[in-house]
Amino acid sequence: MKATYLRWTLAIAACLAVVAALWPSEAGSPEEKAALEAGRVIITYWDRHTGHEFDERKVLIDEFNASQSEVYVRALPIGFTMEKLLTSIAGRTPPDILSTEGTILAALAPQHCVMPLDRFIEESESVDPEDFFPHVWRAVTFSGHTWGIPVTTDSICLLWNKTAFRRAGLDPERPPRTMTELLEYANRLTVRDETGLKQIGFLPWLPWDHTHMWGGLFGGEWFDDASGRFVCGDDPHIIAMFRWMQSFSIDPDAPAQLPYALNPEMVAAFRTGFGAYQSANNPFYSGKVAMTQEGEWQASFIARYAPELDWGVAPLPQPEGAPPRCYSPTCVLDMIPAGAPHPEAAWKYIEWFNSPRPGGRPSPASDYNRAICNIPCRRADVMHERFLGDPALSVFVNELLTKETPVFPVTPVAQFFIDQVERERELVTLRQKTPEQAARAIEDSANAELDRILAIMRRDQP
Amino acid sequence: MTRIERRNLRNGILFALPYLIGGTVFMVYPLVMSVYYSLCHYNIITPATFAGLDNYRVLFSHDEVFWKSVYNTLYFTAFSVPLSLILAIGLAVLLNQAVKGLSVFRTVFFLPTIVPIVASAVLWLWVLNPESGLINGMLRAFLHIEGPGWIADVQWSKPSLILMSLWAVGGPMVIFLAGLADVPAVLYEAAEIDGAGPWQKFRNVTLPMLTPTILFNLVMGLIAAFQYFTQVYVMTAGKGTPADSTMFYALYLYRNSFVYLKMGYASAMALLLFLVILAATAGVLASSKRWVHYHGE
Amino acid sequence: MASKTLQTLLVYAVLLALSAVFISPFLWMLSTSLKHESRIFPKPGEPPQWIPTTARVDAEGRPLVIYEGREGVDLGPDEMGRHVLRFGATEVTAWPGDFEVRQRSGLHWQNYADAFHKMAFWQNLRNTLFICVTVVLGTLVSCSLVAYSFARIPWPGRDTVFILVLATMMLPYQVTLIPLFALYRELGWVGTFKPLILPAFFGTPFYIFLLRQFFLGVPQDLSASARIDGCNEFGIYLFIMLPLSKPALATTALFMFLFQWADFLSPLVYLQDDRQYTLAIALQQFQSHHESAWGPLMAMSSVITIPIIFLFFLTQRTFIQGITLTGLKG
Repeated sequence: MKATYLRWTLAIAACLAVVAALWPSEAGSPEEKAALEAGRVIITYWDRHTGHEFDERKVLIDEFNASQSEVYVRALPIGFTMEKLLTSIAGRTPPDILSTEGTILAALAPQHCVMPLDRFIEESESVDPEDFFPHVWRAVTFSGHTWGIPVTTDSICLLWNKTAFRRAGLDPERPPRTMTELLEYANRLTVRDETGLKQIGFLPWLPWDHTHMWGGLFGGEWFDDASGRFVCGDDPHIIAMFRWMQSFSIDPDAPAQLPYALNPEMVAAFRTGFGAYQSANNPFYSGKVAMTQEGEWQASFIARYAPELDWGVAPLPQPEGAPPRCYSPTCVLDMIPAGAPHPEAAWKYIEWFNSPRPGGRPSPASDYNRAICNIPCRRADVMHERFLGDPALSVFVNELLTKETPVFPVTPVAQFFIDQVERERELVTLRQKTPEQAARAIEDSANAELDRILAIMRRDQP
Repeated sequence: MTRIERRNLRNGILFALPYLIGGTVFMVYPLVMSVYYSLCHYNIITPATFAGLDNYRVLFSHDEVFWKSVYNTLYFTAFSVPLSLILAIGLAVLLNQAVKGLSVFRTVFFLPTIVPIVASAVLWLWVLNPESGLINGMLRAFLHIEGPGWIADVQWSKPSLILMSLWAVGGPMVIFLAGLADVPAVLYEAAEIDGAGPWQKFRNVTLPMLTPTILFNLVMGLIAAFQYFTQVYVMTAGKGTPADSTMFYALYLYRNSFVYLKMGYASAMALLLFLVILAATAGVLASSKRWVHYHGE
Repeated sequence: MASKTLQTLLVYAVLLALSAVFISPFLWMLSTSLKHESRIFPKPGEPPQWIPTTARVDAEGRPLVIYEGREGVDLGPDEMGRHVLRFGATEVTAWPGDFEVRQRSGLHWQNYADAFHKMAFWQNLRNTLFICVTVVLGTLVSCSLVAYSFARIPWPGRDTVFILVLATMMLPYQVTLIPLFALYRELGWVGTFKPLILPAFFGTPFYIFLLRQFFLGVPQDLSASARIDGCNEFGIYLFIMLPLSKPALATTALFMFLFQWADFLSPLVYLQDDRQYTLAIALQQFQSHHESAWGPLMAMSSVITIPIIFLFFLTQRTFIQGITLTGLKG
């Protein structure tokens, strides 16, 4: 027994020694402690982006920390895991600044979880709503207040593989300009043999489901901004768009098929061979998809993953009579959550980020967008040699500068709505629903979901 | 109550005290809260408002994806749990043989359990890629046949995930190994004297002696399979593609809670899941009196 | 005797075949971690590459190729996508799949350098180890006590309470996370390691169940004789049950360690400073919204995995150290 006691005592002592040796050091870097001792306000900045995008943000935050002696920003990458974000907001322990997407702001702001920035903007000399693209500014202003400052925006264009054009006997310098041409080119660029597809000319739901975008390019309205309701149910343009989508997949009941109708099973089999999006095997880079719809970030991706690719970029064609439109998905923005401990200091950083540097040099926001190959949200930042002078970027940028960009639905059910659009698009192209039924189903389910949320919000009003 | 019974009650509660406290604070409290949330409209951000059985009504009558996720989850559980058990027992028994290099083999079979999920999911996406992937590459090189579309194919996506789950049998296997260590060697010696072959020894000695660990792995396998989430979340970017064929119950629950912010609805789903798992576990435990053999008793 | 040999051979054959299946994705990870970014994903039509290679190039950096049995250099693609190949003075064009690019083995260690450069590796490791070790200790103490109660002390209501213990595992984390976070916030634990560590000292149902199953298997007459020797319940637990349950305790310790080593969500939710971050969260730094650094991600995944392999390799002896070795027979 005595020996056993001794062994137990030794084991416990050893465990305690290991734990003591591993005891973690206190939180906070040496710079942060120095800042605290110097009496600076420490604020926390959370970024949903990690990796490359966060690294570029960190460079600018370090610059901000070195540029003045009142505020110190502690940056934390939290990633796309929603749990972290929502627990901290629900738990009333939010950061001072949160960088996230417009859809999340639209879900949070009506619940009074975000601080209105009107007061700061009024007093600010450098942040002027007039400077921003209307579609991004609309994404941060609703219920009569401004809730965030947009950071990056995107523009979707048509990308084509010039080598594939040459092989198909098409002029490699002339992309399709009309919807008729788009279908005709898609047909000529589609290669199949007895074993299946070898090359797809174009599919409107590759690489992502872009049904929402095409609805707008057809001139349709998914969402009525004035009433805040979904209105696509009877929109003839949306229905026409769904009918156009159907021309890309065969109709099992029709005696004759459209020239470009592809068998969905054959497409699925071909799609399974697509490589990872960010690799040399991206189907567009490897020549499996000849024309695609992509954003400005491809300018840096292609240079990196497929430098040999001979490609061009042009505006996406639109049906005749449709208003000239550009498409931009939900934007990235910075906001100050309600209950943030130091909103004044947080605004100081946001303002610095959006102000031109001394001597007329571009703003940190411009630097950030250039580094991650996105488009800044202020016209003045975009109208600069570093964006307009880059031939790979200028087509994307010009779309935003010259055309009307529909606003991504500013509604708390934006994500739910997008999921419904994707689901109904699949049903339509599989001929399980008619275009009319799909448009109606989207409006009804999205509005029902919206009503549910609005009812809860009304009940919550004091 | 006799003196011994009283002492047993006191000792039993004293020994179980850590969990009686911890379970109440860390488990029962959230459980009670989620029962309450399931009767509420609750978006995580603002306080919950009572809504009666509304969530349950919508769930049963207006939600097609819910029923799809139920089917997918039952399909997965029905194949993955028994196959994993059989494979884990088979590996453990093989590894319990006195052959050379055992420690290396044991480590190899445990490897998939250790590889970080982010890395292993990415690996599987490549392994299962129909064109450039490992499996179809091998099939093409050695058997000259075209493999299926695996994870990207509506028909093959669930079997692919079941296959992936089999790869991670290292956990149950180690538990079976520890269980096999508890089988007294005298039992095998006695069986050999009776002239038993390898199969008879497995059937009449190993298997009955493993029943306590089989019970454990079965119950845990069921609970884990019903809540199957992480792999499919990483592999399909949380979307349950293609065409909802991998929209599992826990994944849909996740989308409702943290993407659509319908925590009340998600809590109702969670509670139904809870009841189903509870019934399944109680059923297994009740049946265990007939087939589990504890040699301590 | 011949059948015995045959049986052994069969066992080896099965083990080797299965080993190949189980080890191949791990080897793939190692191999990927040593590949240059451009070679990580196999080119269409090429077989997966196990040994990282790079193209052989001539003095001007042009790849050397073999086409129809002749050696030449690749001058790059023409506008139709065919490659122009030069053999001495002649030039021909060929589609990429029709000629072979000469390869030499080349390990790309730079991924590891990049990975270490990007992470506060030692800091993350120390945080991870601290959580792992304390949680394992807490789990071993608390779960073995609770399991002993459920397995060896016949108290009224025990089996009902046991089902309740199991039931607490059956709620998915998604719905318990919010109330738990609120609870930890009230306790002032958010932003500290406490929510990750202290609950382990109150027991975890999985391990309570596991240890209960093993404790049930230990013969009752051992505790009975100890009781006759004047040992109380705690003495039986400490001097009989724990020493006899080394395989089960080792399994518990290993599993808990592994789980904590890989756990991502709880540290992410409760820690509020990247100096507190664990290895699993830091891995996320190699993935971003639009692009992922696959090479460094796989390199760091390998770095994180290999110590665990050694840990398992060293502790596994305990799993097979059965009752027969601990003097049960005597």
